[in-house]
Amino acid sequence: MMCSADDELPAVACFSLKHFTVLAATMDVAVMTSLAPIRCSSVSPSRSLSTSMASSSPPFASGPPQPRPWFSPTPDPNVAGAAQNSQIGRPQTSSGAPPPFAGPTLASSRPGPPPPFSSRPPPSGAVPQGPIASNGPPVPGFTAPRIPPTPSVQKAAPVGTPASIRAPPPSATASQAPGVRPFPGSPPAGASLTAHASPFVGPPASQPFGRPPAVQSPFAGPPTSQPSFTGSPTSQRPFGGPPTSQPPFAGAPTSQRPFAGQPTSQPPFAGQPTSQPFSGPSAQAFTGRPTSQPYTGPLTSQPYAGRPSSPSYMGAPASQPFSQPPTMGTPFGVPAWPLQPGQVAPSMPGNVQAPPRMFGMPPGMPGQSMSPVPPAMGHTPLAGSQVSTPSKIDPNQIPRPMPSSSVTVFETRHGNQANVPPPATSNFVAKDNGNCSPRLMRCTMNQIPCTGDLLSTSSMPLALMVQPLALPHPSEEPIQIVDFGESGPIRCSRCKGYINSFMRFIDHGRRFVCNLCGFTNETPRDYYCNLGPDGRRRDADERPELCRGTVEFIATREYMVRDPMPAVFFFLIDVSMNAVQTGATAAACSAISQSLADLPDGPRTGVGVATFDCSIHFYNLKRASQQPLMLIIPDIHDVYTPLHSDIIVQLTEYRQSLEQLLENIPSMFESNKVAESAFGAAIKAGFLALKPTGGKLLVFQSVLPSVGVGSLSSREAEGRTNVSSGDKEAHKLLQPADKTLKTMAIEFAEYQVCVDIFVTTQTFVDIASISVVPGTTGGQVYYYYPFNALSDPGKLYNDLRWNISRPQGFEAVMRVRCSQGLQVQEYSGNFCKRIPTDIDLPGIDCDKTIMVTFKHDDKFQDNAECAFQCAVLHTTVYGQRRIRVINLSLPCTNMLSSLFRSADLDTQFACFLKQAASSIPMSPLSQVREQIINLCINILYAYRKFCATVSSSGQLILPEALKLLPLYTLALSKSIGLQNDGRLDDRSYWVSRVASLSISLAIPLVYPRMISIHDLTTREDDGSLLSSNIPLSSEHINDDGIYLLENGEDGLIYVGSMASPETLQKIFGVSSVDGLPSQLVLQQFDNDLSKKLNEVINEIRQQRCSYLRLRLCRKGDPSGLLFLSYMVEDKTPGALSYVEFLVHVHRQIQNKMS
Amino acid sequence: MSEFLDLEAQDGVRMTWNTFPGTKQEALGCVLPVAAIYTPLKSIPDTPVLPYSPLRCRICRSVLNPFSVVDYVAKIWICPFCFQRNHFPQHYMSISEDNLPAELFPQYTTIEYASSVETGPKMPSVFLFVVDTCMIEEEIMFLKSALSQAIELLPENSLVGLITFGTYIQVHELGFGHMPKSYVFKGSKEITKDQLLDQMCFFAGRPRPNVGVIAGPRDGLSAESIARFLIPASECEFVLNSVLEELQKDPWTVPSDQRASRCTSTALSIAASLLGLCIPGSGARIMAFVGGPSTEGAGSIVSKNLSEPIRSHKDLDKGSAPLYGKAVKFYESLSKQLVHQGHVLDLFACAPDQVGVAELKVAVERTGGIVVLAESFGHCVFKDSFRRIFQTTDYDLGLAFNGVFEVNCSKDVKVQGIIGPCASLDKKGPLCAETVVGQGNTTAWKMCGLDKKTSLCLIFEIARKDGPEAVSQPTSNQFYFQFLTYYQHSDGQMRLRVTTLSRGWLAGPGSTQGLLAGFDQETAAAVMARIVSFKMETESDFDPIRWLDRSLIRLCSKFGDYQKDSPSSFSLSPRLSIFPQFIFHLRRSQFVQVFNNSPDETAYYRMILNRENVANAVVMVQPSLISYSFHSAPEPVLLDVSAIAADRILLLDSYFTVVVFHGASIAQWRNAGYQNQPEHETFAYLLKAPRDEADAIIKERFPVPRLVVCDQHGSQARFLLVKLNPSVTYNSNNPPPPGGDIIFTDDVSFEVFLDHLQRLAVQ
Repeated sequence: MMCSADDELPAVACFSLKHFTVLAATMDVAVMTSLAPIRCSSVSPSRSLSTSMASSSPPFASGPPQPRPWFSPTPDPNVAGAAQNSQIGRPQTSSGAPPPFAGPTLASSRPGPPPPFSSRPPPSGAVPQGPIASNGPPVPGFTAPRIPPTPSVQKAAPVGTPASIRAPPPSATASQAPGVRPFPGSPPAGASLTAHASPFVGPPASQPFGRPPAVQSPFAGPPTSQPSFTGSPTSQRPFGGPPTSQPPFAGAPTSQRPFAGQPTSQPPFAGQPTSQPFSGPSAQAFTGRPTSQPYTGPLTSQPYAGRPSSPSYMGAPASQPFSQPPTMGTPFGVPAWPLQPGQVAPSMPGNVQAPPRMFGMPPGMPGQSMSPVPPAMGHTPLAGSQVSTPSKIDPNQIPRPMPSSSVTVFETRHGNQANVPPPATSNFVAKDNGNCSPRLMRCTMNQIPCTGDLLSTSSMPLALMVQPLALPHPSEEPIQIVDFGESGPIRCSRCKGYINSFMRFIDHGRRFVCNLCGFTNETPRDYYCNLGPDGRRRDADERPELCRGTVEFIATREYMVRDPMPAVFFFLIDVSMNAVQTGATAAACSAISQSLADLPDGPRTGVGVATFDCSIHFYNLKRASQQPLMLIIPDIHDVYTPLHSDIIVQLTEYRQSLEQLLENIPSMFESNKVAESAFGAAIKAGFLALKPTGGKLLVFQSVLPSVGVGSLSSREAEGRTNVSSGDKEAHKLLQPADKTLKTMAIEFAEYQVCVDIFVTTQTFVDIASISVVPGTTGGQVYYYYPFNALSDPGKLYNDLRWNISRPQGFEAVMRVRCSQGLQVQEYSGNFCKRIPTDIDLPGIDCDKTIMVTFKHDDKFQDNAECAFQCAVLHTTVYGQRRIRVINLSLPCTNMLSSLFRSADLDTQFACFLKQAASSIPMSPLSQVREQIINLCINILYAYRKFCATVSSSGQLILPEALKLLPLYTLALSKSIGLQNDGRLDDRSYWVSRVASLSISLAIPLVYPRMISIHDLTTREDDGSLLSSNIPLSSEHINDDGIYLLENGEDGLIYVGSMASPETLQKIFGVSSVDGLPSQLVLQQFDNDLSKKLNEVINEIRQQRCSYLRLRLCRKGDPSGLLFLSYMVEDKTPGALSYVEFLVHVHRQIQNKMS
Repeated sequence: MSEFLDLEAQDGVRMTWNTFPGTKQEALGCVLPVAAIYTPLKSIPDTPVLPYSPLRCRICRSVLNPFSVVDYVAKIWICPFCFQRNHFPQHYMSISEDNLPAELFPQYTTIEYASSVETGPKMPSVFLFVVDTCMIEEEIMFLKSALSQAIELLPENSLVGLITFGTYIQVHELGFGHMPKSYVFKGSKEITKDQLLDQMCFFAGRPRPNVGVIAGPRDGLSAESIARFLIPASECEFVLNSVLEELQKDPWTVPSDQRASRCTSTALSIAASLLGLCIPGSGARIMAFVGGPSTEGAGSIVSKNLSEPIRSHKDLDKGSAPLYGKAVKFYESLSKQLVHQGHVLDLFACAPDQVGVAELKVAVERTGGIVVLAESFGHCVFKDSFRRIFQTTDYDLGLAFNGVFEVNCSKDVKVQGIIGPCASLDKKGPLCAETVVGQGNTTAWKMCGLDKKTSLCLIFEIARKDGPEAVSQPTSNQFYFQFLTYYQHSDGQMRLRVTTLSRGWLAGPGSTQGLLAGFDQETAAAVMARIVSFKMETESDFDPIRWLDRSLIRLCSKFGDYQKDSPSSFSLSPRLSIFPQFIFHLRRSQFVQVFNNSPDETAYYRMILNRENVANAVVMVQPSLISYSFHSAPEPVLLDVSAIAADRILLLDSYFTVVVFHGASIAQWRNAGYQNQPEHETFAYLLKAPRDEADAIIKERFPVPRLVVCDQHGSQARFLLVKLNPSVTYNSNNPPPPGGDIIFTDDVSFEVFLDHLQRLAVQ
């Protein structure tokens, strides 16, 4: 059923309408990934490969399982069945499975194929063409043929292939998933032969699993990968098969031809760029593809998404899908190529190859996977059953994120062209050679639509995600600092844009043209320099501002309204009865005390401490005697500071007194009977203390602010009843209770006070209201619920420590400028906005991201470049005033297909996420859900309508670059913030966290990473700790397993009820599940598994810049339910499973089409 | 005179008329009101303290006294006030002419009762220090050392609290063991007792009662929560000293063209509320140490802007002191609160400039507080006075708390009111006169703070109409008075002092001489001083000079010996002879001539006047002047410029100042050091004698007077000259004798005054 098309459109899944209509269950989904040209860098390719592999592999893997579900569930196509299948597939894939797989898979696979066939055929037969998913979207003809044939073809292919070629197994069988992995793996294996061999042998199952890791490493070594390609060739064979199969389908052939035609077209593309190889493959499609396509396809497709993708996708899908993928690929590839060339060239062919398979795999997967899987599983019976429900989608073959842990090198520009950045979640080293590192700023699309119409047609958002102080990769070169002396940085005299590498010097260097507004400026005399023959200034390479995308200028007096502020930290600690009794106060004090050492050194660092319950207690440390003086502000309706100075003292001088005080505070309030909390008054008081200088206010809050200024009522009880009664106003409980805190926050921001709130609570604290304060002042909320004195202090300390020691700036002002034609529409994030053009950031740190949306106010010329410049004027912790200028220049295009190809999934999704989060408090939940799903549908529809018109309407066609969009959208619709029955605070926290979340954390927040940890030491992988993710589906959870799921914030360790005592002993030091403590404090025991687990967790912590809040989850517990609530691919009472969702999306698109 | 002193020694009472005019008409003709200056706690050495409750009349509640008629057979006593016959209770059954209870002894017209049964347990006295910090470091140092000395002297059983203020008010929680801790309140914002209750966490962890008055441990507050702020003196030394040690100048910077932000009124209000919450109805003193004008809060007296001067008498007269009225109103309400709670406000105002004593007066005076005005906390006027408060040696003040003063008198006498440190309790009764002077319209007054010297001036009205029936009764030529003073003794015990008096009255023609025989000139002068001060403060457009003159003239017309229209025939009986001189000096005194003084000083002088006994009041009106010379023993001399001589040393005691004035020659000799030469030992003695005398005065006086040692023609000599009768001025015809002095003034001299008096009196 599935076909991948190579065109610009990456992945495609086809459904037959009839199937659809007939029965949801019968719907087949084919996912096709078009070849994405991968970056040249060998590393990146490998990554891309791996990712693609992974993605594709899952389909395979899942494929097998799916069949079963389908069998049984056949009736319920979408549902649990899929899950079961996946589980089945999983075990094998993930763990020891490999070996078994090999055996079974082969066997099964072969047998499998038949089932698929049989199963599919029925559908196909019933709905002849419908079921077949061809990459068709782009290439209608192809798809059409495929569709009908696909099923058959695929099946056939698998069958045929399996025997002779591995490909079949991989593609068709459950092994496919494995197969996919194997492929990746195979490349590494280097010995294509071996790879092949393995595929053959147990290619599918065992290899896939084992391979993935291997694959990655292989990727590293491009050459090796090629061999794998050979493997791919095998897949091609399958393809070859497909074609043959196609013939059966009358339509198919015809369609193919179109493809063929496309391929031809592709060549041109290929030709243009370096892609020829690709093109070659694509063109060769069936013949040549194997080799070339695989490489290009995989690599390109994922990394580049757009460009290479087409070829690669094409190839990949084609190969696996059999004929179709290739065809698809070509079409897509063609368009892509033009752009890709340059890029592609860089990408390593080897890498490319891997991807193709990946892609190919998926495409082939759908139909085939079904059948093969069951076999693979060895559950032939199942297969049989499955067969009955052939039409279903194989969950194992649908797109899923593929992690890659290998490091790629990313050059931001090449040949005067912007390069398409690697996924935000991947591990890359950015090399700034004109454009900024994508860590600092990246756009939702890497080509800018020339007109607003084109943009709105695409339904995609145009926005920048700016993370101005983002942490660089350790291997990246630091941002250069430029000092223009007293005159300050050179700026355009009209738009005030800062000098950058895209400003064009003319008239022998005497004048320069602003790349933002087009104004011609005189070059200041002392900045004058001759131009070289290439039209660049001769000194361009020596001047960072003329050759780097990001530089930092030293600000002159002109940029200061006062002396740069010192770094001042004011700690506010809740000492009300509950806070003291739950240990929150002690934890906060100890965290602060330990963190003092991490505050910036120097005489300008000031520290103050205050505590509060129903009144506010300041401490005057500047005293003759050692004892501080405690000053209580009892008037919490009209707050003031008791002293003019001395509340904040120099850290260096008073470190000891501070430590002493912090040590004393818990005991001083030991018997405090005050249950009330004057949070609002306390932050006001803290603000007043900071008012003269500005600074950071760090608040540790444990109970609902119940008295004084900004006191809140417990809305939760009320909220819950309302929700249950279906009140349409329920979302209002997620809005701030009143404007008091907002007004205060604006005042705070005006005086450069940034508030961070650490909520250590057992109860409702109305985060919706209090998060306004950090949200407006550039701070953030930390949430520890329910606070546990045993397990949480560690995280509290680490969060605090990171908060104060991470790279950050104060009293910042940020503005984004862009080329004429666009204008900033809106900023969103944690800041305060007083004038339309700038945003004020009392605090800005490396974790904060600001989203900037744009709208057209004019047209761009095709091939013009659109520049973005973000300038952040800030004061460093050491009191230097700096202007960080971040430049990004992207090509403009008139082609919708280019837009889709250059779409940046991660960025776009982060954008959706933020938009959804901001509308949660504003609209009823159902409406928000509808909005995000519609957004997804609209985009896919636009692609379907304008870029894949050729394909049959029965196919669900996903642009390669956005192939994960449905998955993420689904996950988003199930995330905490959008849960109907979630606690208000949990949801509000989610909303507030999302507001400033970086792209790289946005994805895991919604689609967490799950890995198994019981087999950490036995699992074969490529050495990277985090390579093998498990899809978030409960079918992949085994009772005897232990799993770690992390979303960048929480780490849930799920212990299956049958977990081996030995493993438990190793990890937790207890011998039975019942002996597990309710609160987890992870220790390191003296055994490999424990060490490895700690390593893994530390790795994650490092990666996420977050100390995970570890929790133990056990089956049958509420904690277990919590864990399961993260299984976003599962069907839940109120929400669809992933497969169902795809069906839903497809149906919607079809409705729109008709 | 001496008989009056004897009477005073027995009962602490001096009266203007010791023989009363018998009818209302007669009384009006006497010009000066019937008034008594009573010192309730005057130490009377032989006064017994009876360990039981007093026996009271069933009807008028007066206490059994020596003037009661006792029927020993029937065991009945007749109340002299209402003539009610009362049976003695069982425990008096053994009474007989030979077996009298002490209260019936004729010499015990003043007696004390101290019954623990009736008055409950001993109450600790409470001292709440309210300390200004808007001062230069030096002043703060002085104050700190004074305070720490005081802390050592505090009675063991007393409780201590501390509030400091400046821009903000800090209520120190002395009972918090971990570290110095204080509650900080904003100075510009008034805070009610209720808010205080909430904000000071008195109900931490417990629900607050919804109804009823919440105050004190008996009404809802836990002893622990009170002990946070008021700690026993025996335990406070370390804590208080450590807090005081760290006490610093108010940290808020003051622009050079501004006054410090000082919230005296809010601090006092918080202090009052705190005491009201913690120990209502038990003796407590708020001791305020103020180093400058209040500029924040409801009681501010001047804006912060230095360009605006602090109000003067002129401003007050013209009504151009916009903050004055508001501040007074604030302190009036504060005084009501304090009176209600039974707490005292003491004021120690030490600043070169005014601090707002005039506004604070009402609160200090009504609560019977101590007031000390000095230029600096380093000045001995403050230092020594302050130390005296806590000294338990010879001259201790005998501070008592929480007093209630009640009056009973014969039905023909009514009470117009009291001028003095007390507050009306609004207990109306038939005794209340319709005309009110001072705290009137009541027969009971609150004296939150009183000491051995506190003296009240009661103004009476003779209500008796002319008529024959008055004569018919045998006892009717006697008026009876009974003064009851309930108070918390400094040892914490509640006591009742009862003073019962009887005075005869005369009516009808020919009574003039009889009345004159009972006239007490000194008391009259003291009463006139109080009345004129009172009238100046309360009556707008009051012309004190004119009023005094008219009173004097009328008095002299009535009681003088003269032939009509013949000034030269005018003479005064010795009973009245000094009175014109008192009035002359009163006219020139700081009480009447206010324009040389700031409103603060005037208020200060009047407050002291109003609480002092007759002798001291007379000194304030007409200072005493003693001359020391080689020619004679120390002798009092006329308060006249002619007393100045080059070879004399003069000692002037004007109560507030003690001046030792060296004549020009004496000064020269002294400067030459003759006193150090053995052969001039007598000179040394001469120099020393007035100093010794001055020291003796200083030692027994409170507040401690200012000692000025000066030389003739020196600048400080003005302290003497201003008090002297300007008989010789720069434009006198007769020049002063050699070594004498002249006064640069246009004021009339006593001779001129007397001439006019004679002329007018005989008209």
